[in-house]
Amino acid sequence: MPRFDQARPLLTLGIVLLVWLILPTTIKRATRLGFYELQAPVDVAASYARDLQDFWSQKTRTKNELIEAARDLARLNASYELRLQDDARLRNEIARLEELLRLPSYGDFRAEPARVVRRDFSAWWQRLVIRKGANHGLTIGAPAIYSGGLVGRVSEVHAHTAVIELISSPGLRLAAVFDGDDRPVSFQGGVNAPLRPAEAVLEYVPLDVFATPASPRRLVTSGLGGVYPPGLFVGEVLTLEASTDGLFKTGRAVLDPRLGRLSEVTVLVPLDPAP
Amino acid sequence: MAFAPRSSAPERPGSMVESHRGYDPRLWLFYGLLVLLLAVLTAGLGYQQLGRTDLHRERETVQSQRRVIVPGPRGNLFDREGRLLVGNRPRFAVTLNLDELRTEFRREYLRVRRNYRETGDKDLPNATQLERIARVSVVQSHLQIINRILGTREKVNPETLERHYRQARILPFILLEDITPAAYSRLLEQLPVNSPLQVYAASTRAYPHGRLAAHTLGYTASDDDLAVNEGLPGAELTTFKMRGSVGRQGLEAALDTRLQGQAGGTIYRVDPAGYRLQPALEKRRPLQGEDIVTSLDLDLQRAAETQMAENGLAGAAVALDIPSGEVRVLASHPDYDLNDFTPRLTEKTASGINAQGAWLNRATQGLYPPGSTFKLVTALAGLRTGHIRPDSQVECTGTYQVGGRVFVCNNHRDRGILTLSQALEKSCNTFFYLYGLQTGIDAIAAEARLRGLDRPTGIDLPHEARHMLVPDPAWKEARRSDRWFPGDTANVSIGQGDLALTPLQMACLVASLARGETLTRPTLLHQNTPSNRPQPVDGIAPSARAAILTGMEAVTNTGTGQILQTPRFRVPGLRIAGKTGTAQKATAQGILNFAWFVGFVPIENPQIAVAVLVEGDTPGEDVAGGRYAAPVAGAIFRAWADKTGQYPPNHTATPSPPSGG
Repeated sequence: MPRFDQARPLLTLGIVLLVWLILPTTIKRATRLGFYELQAPVDVAASYARDLQDFWSQKTRTKNELIEAARDLARLNASYELRLQDDARLRNEIARLEELLRLPSYGDFRAEPARVVRRDFSAWWQRLVIRKGANHGLTIGAPAIYSGGLVGRVSEVHAHTAVIELISSPGLRLAAVFDGDDRPVSFQGGVNAPLRPAEAVLEYVPLDVFATPASPRRLVTSGLGGVYPPGLFVGEVLTLEASTDGLFKTGRAVLDPRLGRLSEVTVLVPLDPAP
Repeated sequence: MAFAPRSSAPERPGSMVESHRGYDPRLWLFYGLLVLLLAVLTAGLGYQQLGRTDLHRERETVQSQRRVIVPGPRGNLFDREGRLLVGNRPRFAVTLNLDELRTEFRREYLRVRRNYRETGDKDLPNATQLERIARVSVVQSHLQIINRILGTREKVNPETLERHYRQARILPFILLEDITPAAYSRLLEQLPVNSPLQVYAASTRAYPHGRLAAHTLGYTASDDDLAVNEGLPGAELTTFKMRGSVGRQGLEAALDTRLQGQAGGTIYRVDPAGYRLQPALEKRRPLQGEDIVTSLDLDLQRAAETQMAENGLAGAAVALDIPSGEVRVLASHPDYDLNDFTPRLTEKTASGINAQGAWLNRATQGLYPPGSTFKLVTALAGLRTGHIRPDSQVECTGTYQVGGRVFVCNNHRDRGILTLSQALEKSCNTFFYLYGLQTGIDAIAAEARLRGLDRPTGIDLPHEARHMLVPDPAWKEARRSDRWFPGDTANVSIGQGDLALTPLQMACLVASLARGETLTRPTLLHQNTPSNRPQPVDGIAPSARAAILTGMEAVTNTGTGQILQTPRFRVPGLRIAGKTGTAQKATAQGILNFAWFVGFVPIENPQIAVAVLVEGDTPGEDVAGGRYAAPVAGAIFRAWADKTGQYPPNHTATPSPPSGG
């Protein structure tokens, strides 16, 4: 009997594993989701706690510092105001040209800012968990941006949180263009080790495109793929190499290191999502 | 009842209890046999495992591995200044990896079978048919994903799918070919990275200038029997080859071995059903073929073709670099758009080309009577034999009687006494009838042969005409069993009769004449060092050459080629030597005229030699060399002059006025 008692934990574990194995997939999925939703409030609460922590740390600033920050903010707002006016003018111009050339117009987006709850970085996936989900109308596939350009796209949506796959993740691929060029190239996140500068892999680059560390080329979204609006910065290309088949060049794009430190992103929720 | 005592007698054989007092000697025999058999088995096993290891490993490899060969892109062709003439463009396709769908196939098979059973259908397909239905269904469901993304309504062709599944399931199945960059972008973003649906890029030939130099550059066709480099591993494996391409015409065919890329290959392990297992065991990337710089000059070629298209008549133009023999222009009209050949030529386009007679490369394959341009050869033969002197004269009365036949000279109105130079300028037949007859057909034919007019030039293009003809009495006797008449000599003297030459030969003739040599070996490959030299000198006295060149210059100034002095073609300071010609040929439609112009520039330092032919298309219509052929040469000369920068520009786009020839 004592021997059986000793083996009981192992036996129990075996039974649990066996039951898990034979459980229908639907139940397993529901269990996983339930666990995630149960965990989500903890993450969200931790996020709020961090915000509070940040708030109190800001309270320690002197009045002069705050005045200086307010001035900076005012300048920034003024410049944004100008940019907005420019933006409106350019939008009208684009609309006019689209009408003139009978080009299809891409659906507009609704901007949904969201705080970052958690960051998961590994060699195989790089993602953020944000503090908004289905409750704010986020949809799978919606692009996420920040002040530096494209962050990634929403890969999972839960009730109160959503997961964003970063552009540095190997699971994310998009059609990018070099700034000033209209030919799409394949951009895919690389296998990036944690705490290292993130890179992405470029393929199908036309042979007449050149990039060197001395004159790097900016890479932006093409807008052709139907997911991301055009012109969002994705990375900088320092080198390109001709492939042996002579058809294309390949290369690597260096991504903005701020991607790993984001605390807030904006999800662009399509107003007219594709069916 | 008596109780019997236990017997102490020995146990009988066959009793339940056996005892062995010793081994039977016969057993030793059995044991020996057993040991022997075991030894044989062990030896056999050892032999198979140790002695034949390589063989078994090879068999196992052959059975469980497959090799996929991918063609290497072809090399590019450039013009002499490094501008791309023929390149490759990516061709994107959507493919489906069937080996990732095994589970789906099985699940769909069960679902389809269950549906049949539930509906009580008596015509239940057999297992093979059910598998086929399931495959089509699964592949169509994946195609639906593509349709949803691209907004298309493509459907799977069950026959194509089945053929692919049976013959090459290891290769990705192509769902959509030649998709646009926009479609490619949509798929790139909207297909999951790990989807069995993938965007695949292959190479296809691209001709950035479309019709330009179509016959010279040539085209390719798909090739199922892809040549595999011997160094590629896995030669013993079952091999699947992706479709490659092979040059069929023009430089694409002539330089095929150099342009062909080196095929790459991937070796996969496969399961018993033939599906590949990832990752690949070995992979070697394909390599692009050699890039080749041709001797063609894009500017000159374009100038020639534009002018020929303006004429609207069939014809050919050739321009040679005189010092090197490199071909700078090789044009034939009508032509075709080389991009129509990629990925494949449609029947409609092919029949259109056929109806136009555009397949023929008239520059290298068309055989025409050279007309009055041949008077240069007659003059050279007469000068060489001494029958013509630089100051030889003749009085042209408009007719010349040979035997009982009267030959006419309708080429000019200025009757009277003409020298050699004037005879060339006016293209006087009478002069050449007289001196041609004096020189004799043997000397004229010998001069033509000396200058290579009786044989192909050896240009690096396939299918050059081989049946060019310089007639003489021996030929007529052998071919027609007829004797040679003086009238035949008179005809040949002015480039008529049975003479049949290609425009390329005429260009070589003029280039050689300009250099004072007898032969020019044309080439389409650009080399920085002249490889064509030296050729035999022609032995024509300087005074004789001067008389010919004076006549040829007069042709373009005041003679039959004076159209070159009109504002449209005139290049101030550029001295042009030329000779026009108009030949007649009896065809099924009637007698057609062929217009010729041959010449070179500049006279004082010959650089470019040109031969142009224009075919008349209406019997009886006056298609004269000066009016139709000379403008094409003029366009080439002007384009060349513009490039040298040594002549002041004089561009006036006025229509070309009519002129005689």
